[in-house]
Amino acid sequence: MTVLILTCRQDVTADLVVAELREQGVPLVRFDPADLPDQAGLSVEFDRGDFTGYLSTEGRLVSIHGVRSIWVRRPGRPAAHAANPSEWLTAECGQALYGMLYATTARWMNHPAAAEPARHKPFQLRVAQHSGFAVPSTLVTTYPRAARDFAVQCSDIVVKSASGPPTADPPVTLPTTRIDPDTDFSDVAAGATLLQRYIPKAADIRLICVGSELFAARKTAGSGQVDGRFGCHGHRWEPVDVPARIVRSVHEYMALTGLAYGAFDFAEDADGLWWFLECNQGGQFGFVELETGQPIAAAVASWLAGPGAAHR
Amino acid sequence: MQPFVLKHAIPAERSSASVPYAYSAVLQLNVLSDGRPAIADHAVLLATGTTTSTAGSKTHFDD
Repeated sequence: MTVLILTCRQDVTADLVVAELREQGVPLVRFDPADLPDQAGLSVEFDRGDFTGYLSTEGRLVSIHGVRSIWVRRPGRPAAHAANPSEWLTAECGQALYGMLYATTARWMNHPAAAEPARHKPFQLRVAQHSGFAVPSTLVTTYPRAARDFAVQCSDIVVKSASGPPTADPPVTLPTTRIDPDTDFSDVAAGATLLQRYIPKAADIRLICVGSELFAARKTAGSGQVDGRFGCHGHRWEPVDVPARIVRSVHEYMALTGLAYGAFDFAEDADGLWWFLECNQGGQFGFVELETGQPIAAAVASWLAGPGAAHR
Repeated sequence: MQPFVLKHAIPAERSSASVPYAYSAVLQLNVLSDGRPAIADHAVLLATGTTTSTAGSKTHFDD
């Protein structure tokens, strides 16, 4: 039985898992949907009450009945590398690929049906509340007055993007930024805006959940540092124990979302309380493993190599 | 009028250096010029930032 890894070639984090699977003697095929239909192929046939199918790429062939598990890591958009790419071709190839994969009994990390809602920050915050995490007061709004009232109520807030930076030339990024309560909020009317009470941080925490296994790393925050991804001050990621109440909440979150993998970000305050910021369903773990030595890739590989889902 | 959050955008750092490894279809992973897997050289991976959490990559925002 084969592990199918949907990702792009340049994804070296996937390489960590490829090496682990090879070490465990587990067959794998690495497949980028962007290569359809020119550099990769597929076929699926429904006949006499059953179906058969296969995927092929770079000289490898895998029967869809031989797929043990599917890891959705960093797949390209279907047919993105085609000689004549188009939205329509992407839709056609996506229908064929994901449709046939949904029809298998393979286990997913993560199933797209679970991943899609889990990408949305407002959904994450609500699930986090249900899971028992400490969640900073947050407002998502298009109303300037609501933003002003929230800023007054919280007195110290940050603004962050819900979906990441826009495509721009030259490229820009959107770090989480503190906002003066006296700021003019009239531009909030020009787009949905996510405002959150500022949590003065002692440290950033990234916690990786693989199935039921947890790996957490802590990095001391610089003085006044708001976004842990920017303005690093020489501190390194170090392994940290996970408090029991966080363990319970993480497992609850994973159960509620149906995710098999999640990368949680927390802000640790001066009292040691971990505040939930977000859970990236496809978040990076490579830098945590490289800096802390925690065997996350091995855990992902073991999960993927585990027993399949029940037959439907 | 532009969306409020965009008032706080900053220029993204451009990566001028190309990564010192290339994908091997045979091995199904990236290899260095000397044939070793790229993941064998942690210093290279950390220096290139290709395994890090960023404020949104070009193709996937949920890093």
